[in-house]
Amino acid sequence: MAEPYLVIDNVRKQFPRRGEPPLTVIDGLNVAVEHGSLLSILGPSGCGKSTLLNMINGLDDVTSGRIVINGHTVGVRSRSAVRIGVVFQEPRLLPWRTVRDNVRLPLDELDVPREEADRRVQRYLDLVGLGDFGDYYPLRLSGGMQQRVALARGLAIEPDLLLADEPFSALDEITARKLRQEFTDIWRATGRTVLFVTHNIREAVFLSTRMLVVTARPCTTHMDITIDVPYPRVPEDDRLFEIEKQVTRDFIRMEEAAGADQGAAV
Amino acid sequence: MSTGTTGTGEVTAGDVAPVVQVAGKADLVTPERRSWRGVWLRALSLLSLVVVWFVASLFLSPNVLPGPVTVVATMIDNLGEPETYVDLGTTVYRVVAGMLIAVAAGLVIGLIMGLSKFGEEFLDSWVLVAFTVPSVVYGILAILWFGLNDVAAVVAIGVTATPAVAINMWQGVKAIDLSLIRMGRAFHFSRASILRKLVVPQVIPFLLAALRYALGLAWKIATVVELIGLSSGVGYQLGYWFGLFNMTQVLAWTLMFTIVLLLIEFVILKPTEYWLTRWRPSMQN
Repeated sequence: MAEPYLVIDNVRKQFPRRGEPPLTVIDGLNVAVEHGSLLSILGPSGCGKSTLLNMINGLDDVTSGRIVINGHTVGVRSRSAVRIGVVFQEPRLLPWRTVRDNVRLPLDELDVPREEADRRVQRYLDLVGLGDFGDYYPLRLSGGMQQRVALARGLAIEPDLLLADEPFSALDEITARKLRQEFTDIWRATGRTVLFVTHNIREAVFLSTRMLVVTARPCTTHMDITIDVPYPRVPEDDRLFEIEKQVTRDFIRMEEAAGADQGAAV
Repeated sequence: MSTGTTGTGEVTAGDVAPVVQVAGKADLVTPERRSWRGVWLRALSLLSLVVVWFVASLFLSPNVLPGPVTVVATMIDNLGEPETYVDLGTTVYRVVAGMLIAVAAGLVIGLIMGLSKFGEEFLDSWVLVAFTVPSVVYGILAILWFGLNDVAAVVAIGVTATPAVAINMWQGVKAIDLSLIRMGRAFHFSRASILRKLVVPQVIPFLLAALRYALGLAWKIATVVELIGLSSGVGYQLGYWFGLFNMTQVLAWTLMFTIVLLLIEFVILKPTEYWLTRWRPSMQN
């Protein structure tokens, strides 16, 4: 890959506050992602990861720096032509629409022709193992199934870039584990670029080709690790476990340092 | 989308399907059961009321409590008279006109209160006061100001039902699930789509509840206004027969109008509500 697909170039994000200096959420974040990689961003809760996803998705502007997708600098006014799919922490399905209609909703917004849309909805429901559940209403499905529907919705627009915001963190561990396995299978089969935000170290190590560890408030790059373990991976792989141990150690050291800093400031 | 992508998609489905375990029916949340049992139970419950009425009427003078058979017979007699339909129609017209005012005004007030903090603080005490004032007062004031005519009845009904609609819409707007709106934004839905596909459907159950409640209020105040000051409608008939101490006719008219309202409820409101909220698993199971 000559040109990285997604470049986050020294991005800073501040929110103005009345009567106080602006709140700096992200301060100098750098990363360049190749097409087709699965990058996870690992950081403590509330460290501006969702803000970062919003900026990549063209819902918010950077204060300074640049976000470049496929050679195009993005912002609220210059949204990327690249198609972006989203999966959230909660399913966020419309309970009054069937599973099929939910997956279809973003397709209608893109004016995908009816037949093509029908085909795609079925294909991606099949892909997440819910091919027979198109006519069900979401509230009849279990939490894990609902999250799969959300994943199908994110994939059905055939995004060039999929943004996943802690999609498995609200699920029980058994279901989450199963979905992680499926997620990497689907990712490998579709060849999309994925940005996966999480605060779960094991999850990040297991899933990604590359891992960006970020600090809390303001969010800056702390570590950038390439995880060179071939897929399909098994969660019990010793190599993954070694990386997890190392990252965990470092992560805790970083947290403690941040705590000490705050203590000194008080 | 380019053919390349479609190609990958094809490969995808073929490659991955076996890996992903297909979910089974067992994973489903317990389904809702809608059966005829409810219909039977309702019929039984109504029947028991008729039985109690019948037994009680055996021990009381017909001037105090005529039996169900007499009352139903009188009602059927009345249904043969063209004037009956004029009176029924007049009251239904007043109720519907008053409801339209209430829904329009209540929607606007409720939306303002739900969407703006200023609107809420400015209006909430008014709405609560208007909700608390006895509806007879509105009836009396409307007759004094507008005279003995339809306008008085319609205004009284409209003013009585408006706060109920407003309160429901206010709560409805506050109950909107914002995470769904954020989902719409993330997928770059247009403003119109966000409103039509994400906001309106969430408010509809509240609007239906408001309608039902307003209907209950509206017909009560309609009959009261007709009884106090008008010379047509169901309320007027009730007052007329009450003046003659004709209990049979009073009950016959009450029964007839109740049936009309139940028809509105079961033929229009309930099916609409069931259809609009068919996605919701029932709580009672």
